[in-house]
Amino acid sequence: MSDSPPPTGDEGRVIELHLPSRLGYEKVAMDTASAMAKRMGFATDRVDSLRTAVSEAVTNAIEHGNQHDAAMKVVVIFTGSEEGLTIDVADQGRKRLDAAAIDRLPDIHQVIHSDNDDKGGWGIWLIKELMDEVQFSVAPTGGNQLRMVIHLDR
Amino acid sequence: MIDDELKVSTRQRDGVWIIDLEGDVTTFAEDAITSAYEEVTREGAKYIVMNSRQSDYINSAGIAILIGVVTEVNRQGQKLAISGLSAHFQKIFRMVGLAQYADIYASEDEAVSAMKQLAAQSQEESASA
Repeated sequence: MSDSPPPTGDEGRVIELHLPSRLGYEKVAMDTASAMAKRMGFATDRVDSLRTAVSEAVTNAIEHGNQHDAAMKVVVIFTGSEEGLTIDVADQGRKRLDAAAIDRLPDIHQVIHSDNDDKGGWGIWLIKELMDEVQFSVAPTGGNQLRMVIHLDR
Repeated sequence: MIDDELKVSTRQRDGVWIIDLEGDVTTFAEDAITSAYEEVTREGAKYIVMNSRQSDYINSAGIAILIGVVTEVNRQGQKLAISGLSAHFQKIFRMVGLAQYADIYASEDEAVSAMKQLAAQSQEESASA
């Protein structure tokens, strides 16, 4: 689902989810991520960071990429390796994620003192803050792809 | 499993209004949280504690709702404290910068006593003015 193949490793450590684009289903991905990370030996605070990052990525795919069209799927692939856990999240790209959204650096002071009622836009920033590696790309079919990696500290 | 609703309730303790949040704080929580805040504000709340009880899922949409409340608290000259968050969400709230606008306490007791202290200070100041 990306230009570069997922890390090779034990076939048993790859889990793939196909989720309908309906809010709430991000929790299935979040729980899968934490179950897998706990089995791999990640510390509790890292598992919590992963839960937040995965929920934000899948929510973004549901809301933005697939525009809440429940017939469109969000595909989440979890690949465990000796080094850590890689999670690929792909939507069907009804709406392309633009560079401005990816690079946005939200500022609480500006948000609080602005008349704009929309106080959101923290999701992608949080993912980048919480994960060790984050890459955004576009599939040949036009879908948004996000790959995030969390390293196992040994 | 998918549509866990947030339960929101309000109560008063030692002159401090408490908004209890129980469940997921996501986009679905907006109406419940906003109306609870409006309700305590109508009651004349000056010191408010947003108390999270077993909210193990707060996402960026939920954070945006809380930022909306903080915005209004600022405009109204109220004070807001947040309590009951897990260590993870305390960290997230600090990262986002919410801690600069609402003091974060581990427990409701700590939040309430801090708010009472603020209220007492403000009374002293207005008495000496």
